[in-house]
Amino acid sequence: MTGQTRPSFSAAIIYRDPLAALAWLEKAFGFETSMLVTGPDGAVHHSEMRYGDGLIMVGGEFDERHISPERIGGRNTHSVHVQMDAGLDAHCARARAAGASIVREPADQPYGDRVYAAIDPEGHVWSFGQTIQAMTLDEQAAATGADIRERL
Amino acid sequence: MTAITPQLFYRDPKAALRWPEDAFGFETSMVVTDDKGAVGHAETTWRGESISVGAPFASPELIGPARMTSPAELGGAGSQFLRLEVEGDLDAHCKRARAAGARITQAPADQFYGQRTYRALDPEGHVWTFYQPVAEVSPEVARQGAGLTIRTSLD
Repeated sequence: MTGQTRPSFSAAIIYRDPLAALAWLEKAFGFETSMLVTGPDGAVHHSEMRYGDGLIMVGGEFDERHISPERIGGRNTHSVHVQMDAGLDAHCARARAAGASIVREPADQPYGDRVYAAIDPEGHVWSFGQTIQAMTLDEQAAATGADIRERL
Repeated sequence: MTAITPQLFYRDPKAALRWPEDAFGFETSMVVTDDKGAVGHAETTWRGESISVGAPFASPELIGPARMTSPAELGGAGSQFLRLEVEGDLDAHCKRARAAGARITQAPADQFYGQRTYRALDPEGHVWTFYQPVAEVSPEVARQGAGLTIRTSLD
């Protein structure tokens, strides 16, 4: 377990098979299970994984509002972005070897980050980024042609 | 520093940025719009950390066969939800959310695992669970209380 600080919020990600998801996320992305709460029948009630200072939760489907993408045709209502310090390409190679579907190969983006994206075995979308060149919002706007501001 | 940022998808991203400002106390911190004024990417900040907000999309080049969409397009289903720790008065936070139009699906209540929690739906049906630690609960007590097993690794 690395990071000990607790973010003020975290994503809780829904899987049909949360135990398999925990094992896969450890192998593919290097996340570490830091808490696993199971009931008498072995069902996962709650779990937490850490990656550096980051925290996610992994849980099972528990009502019609909480459903794995696998059961809704690959649709996701959320995704998760992981911003790393270093090692993006090696991380992608590890994920691919573990069976992740790499849907965006690692590539430098005009806003200064190198990014790849992957889909896990139940269809959740993940992106990973590493800053290659730190840029201000004005510089990012100039490089991408988009309007970027700090307020609505 | 490794940061993990949840991204939420909405039919109306601009409204989705405004709403948590009123309801939950978020503050919009970045809005990227294209030449038609559509929001391509946005970030809103709470207690020093950000979530991203975007519009539904499908793009084989960016996300392969997946599709990003709003719970409003799925009869209220979602593939994730958020858990957020409230500093200060959880019940007052809930009251503010309710006044801003949040649908409170679980009123504030103390849970056996030592947290007081409430659960809210935003206008497009994303689930937000707010919590506040109210008591230290040892794994032993939690296990006896609810028949649960608590471990700190998969092994």
